[in-house]
Amino acid sequence: MASGAAPILAVENLVTAFRSGGGEHAAVRDVSFTVQRNETVAIVGESGCGKSVTALSIMGLVPAANGRIVAGHIRFAGRDLVGLGEDEMRKIRGDRISMIFQEPMTSLNPVLTVGFQIAETLRYHRGMDRAAAGRAALDLLEQVKIPAARQRFGDYPHQFSGGMRQRVMIAIALACRPELLLADEPTTALDVTIQAQVLSLLAELKSAYGMAMIFITHNLGVVASIADRVAVMYAGEIVEVAPLDTLFAHPTHPYTELLLRSIPRVDQDARHLSTIPGQVPSISAMPRGCRFAPRCPLRVAICAERDPLLAPVAGSPAHQARCWVRAPQAELAHA
Amino acid sequence: MSAITLGRGEGHLLAQVVRAFSANATSWIGLALFLAIVALALLAPVISPYDPLDQDVLTRLAPPSADHWLGTDSYGRDILSRLLWGARLSLVISTVSILAAMLIGGVIGIVSGYVGGRFDLVVMQAMDVLLSFPSLIMGLMVVAMLGASMVNLMIAIALTAIAPFARIARAPTIVVKERDYIEACRALGFSDLRIMAVHILPNIIAEIIVMGSLWLATAIRIEASLSFIGLGVRPPTATWGGMIREGFENILDSAWLSVFPSLAILLVVFSLNMIGDGLRDAIDPKLRSGE
Repeated sequence: MASGAAPILAVENLVTAFRSGGGEHAAVRDVSFTVQRNETVAIVGESGCGKSVTALSIMGLVPAANGRIVAGHIRFAGRDLVGLGEDEMRKIRGDRISMIFQEPMTSLNPVLTVGFQIAETLRYHRGMDRAAAGRAALDLLEQVKIPAARQRFGDYPHQFSGGMRQRVMIAIALACRPELLLADEPTTALDVTIQAQVLSLLAELKSAYGMAMIFITHNLGVVASIADRVAVMYAGEIVEVAPLDTLFAHPTHPYTELLLRSIPRVDQDARHLSTIPGQVPSISAMPRGCRFAPRCPLRVAICAERDPLLAPVAGSPAHQARCWVRAPQAELAHA
Repeated sequence: MSAITLGRGEGHLLAQVVRAFSANATSWIGLALFLAIVALALLAPVISPYDPLDQDVLTRLAPPSADHWLGTDSYGRDILSRLLWGARLSLVISTVSILAAMLIGGVIGIVSGYVGGRFDLVVMQAMDVLLSFPSLIMGLMVVAMLGASMVNLMIAIALTAIAPFARIARAPTIVVKERDYIEACRALGFSDLRIMAVHILPNIIAEIIVMGSLWLATAIRIEASLSFIGLGVRPPTATWGGMIREGFENILDSAWLSVFPSLAILLVVFSLNMIGDGLRDAIDPKLRSGE
C-alpha cells in the first residue's frame, strides 16, 4: 500500500445515526479508513455492525426520513462528500462511485431489457446517443462474460440466472468506469461456484480498470480471496484494520481472533465449531467503554470504563486495533 | 454488425399480456363487440340510411319497419342513423375524457406515491374530496358553472375520473419505489423524474390501462346520464343519453325510442367490461402463465 499517494477515498471520523424509538442512535461511530487507487479494502462484520450503513453514507443514500450523517468527512478524490448537494452527488453516483447490491434477483428492473439498463447509465451520465450507448453496453456485457452477449442483449432479467444477473449488475455499475466501486455483499446470494466466478471477474475488472473497491461482506473466506486490506467492524466501530496477510496471521483484536477461530476448517473436528458467546449489543443499548467488552475473554477493568481508540499495533503502523489490552493506548488515551 | 435494439420492454410485456388476454374467450368477445361498435361509429357517414337530423313529420313515431329498421322518433328522424351518429359522439367524449383523466390522475398518483410523506397525505386527501362527489353531482356542478357543451361535458367526466386514477397509480408506486432496483437507480445517480418515468411507470402502466378500459364504460354511462337530464350536448345533435330522454316522453306507446339507445349503451359498457376483465387477468402476475 503506497502511503505516500493521496487516497481516492478517505473516511474520517464518520458518525451516521438513525432515529428510532424517540432517540437518535449511531449505527456507525467514529469510522475512519482510507482506500487507495487500485486497492481493495474489505469491510467485514456481522449483520447490523454498520458496514452497509458505511457504504450508504459514502453514496449519500442514507434514508433522509430517519437517518443522517452526524459528523465526520468523506473525502473522495480530495472533495468532501458530506454536505454536498443532492445534484452534485447525483453526478458522482453511478459515474465516479458505483455500487453493487446484495440481491441480484431484485436489483434489476423486471420490465426493462438488460441492454437498456446497461446503456441507460451511459446515456444518462455520458450523454451518449442510443446507438453508441448500445454498442458500449454490448461491449460491457461481453466484458462481464455473458455467453452469447449479443443474443442476450434484448433479454429481460427474469431470463437470467442469479449469477448472470449479478454480472449484469456489475456491467451497469462499471459502465461509466467509476474510480470507486462499493460492493455490498455481492456474492452472498449466490451459490459457492458462482460466487468464485463473480469474485474472480470482479478482481479482474478491478485491475483492468484500475479502480478502487470497497468490498463489504461477512464471509472471511471471500475476504481472503479478494482483499488487499481488511477493516473489521463491530457494533458500528472499526475494531481492527490490517493488510490481509497480517490480519489472518496476527489477528490482534479479540473479536477478530474469535471470528477467525469460528471459521469451520477441514483439518479440525467439525463437532467443535467455536462460537463467540453473547450477542451484539442493540443499537439503542450500547455498553459503556469498549463495545466488545461484555463478550471479551480478555476484559480488564478499564474496558468497561472508557472506549479505546484505534491504535497502531506494535511494529506495524498499517495495523491498528481498538483494544485496551492488545493495542497500547497510553499515548492516545485522553482522560 | 446487426442493429442493436434498446427496446424498453413494452414489446415483451405486451406479448405476454396479449397471450394471456387471448387465452380468455370472453375478452375476445368483448374486444370484437367493441371494435364492431367503433367501426360502425366510424362508418356512420357512409352506412347510416338517413341524415340523423332530417325530420319527416309524415312518419313520426313509426315502429321498426323495412324503411326505418329501428323506427323513427317524434320528429320523424331515423333512430338507426341517430344511433350511429350518436355513437361517434359518445365514444369521442368518453375516450378523450378518460385519456385526460388517466394522464392527470396517473401523474398525480405516481408523484404523490413517490414523494410520500406529508405531500402524499395532502394530495390524497384532496383526491378523497374529489372522490366524495358522485359523478352525476360533479357533472351537474361543472356543467352548471361552465355551461352545457361537449368540452365541458368532457371536463366534468375527466374530473370525476381523476381521483380513481390517482389512487390506482399511487398504490403500486408505493410498492415499486421500495424495490431494490429503485434503490439501485438512486445509486446510479438517476434523477427522481427519470426514476418515475422510466423505472416506475412501465411497472404500473398495465394497471392504469385496465382501469382505463373499465372507466371508459363508466364515462359512457355518465355522458348518457348527463345528456338524459339535459346537461349534455345540446339537441338536435344525436347522443345516446339525449335519445333516451327524448324517447322517455313516449315510453308507453313507442318504447323503441328509448330501448334501442339503451341497448347500445348496454352493449358498449358490457363489451368494455369484458375487455377490462380479460386485461386484468392478463396483467395479474399470479395468473400470468410461466415465463
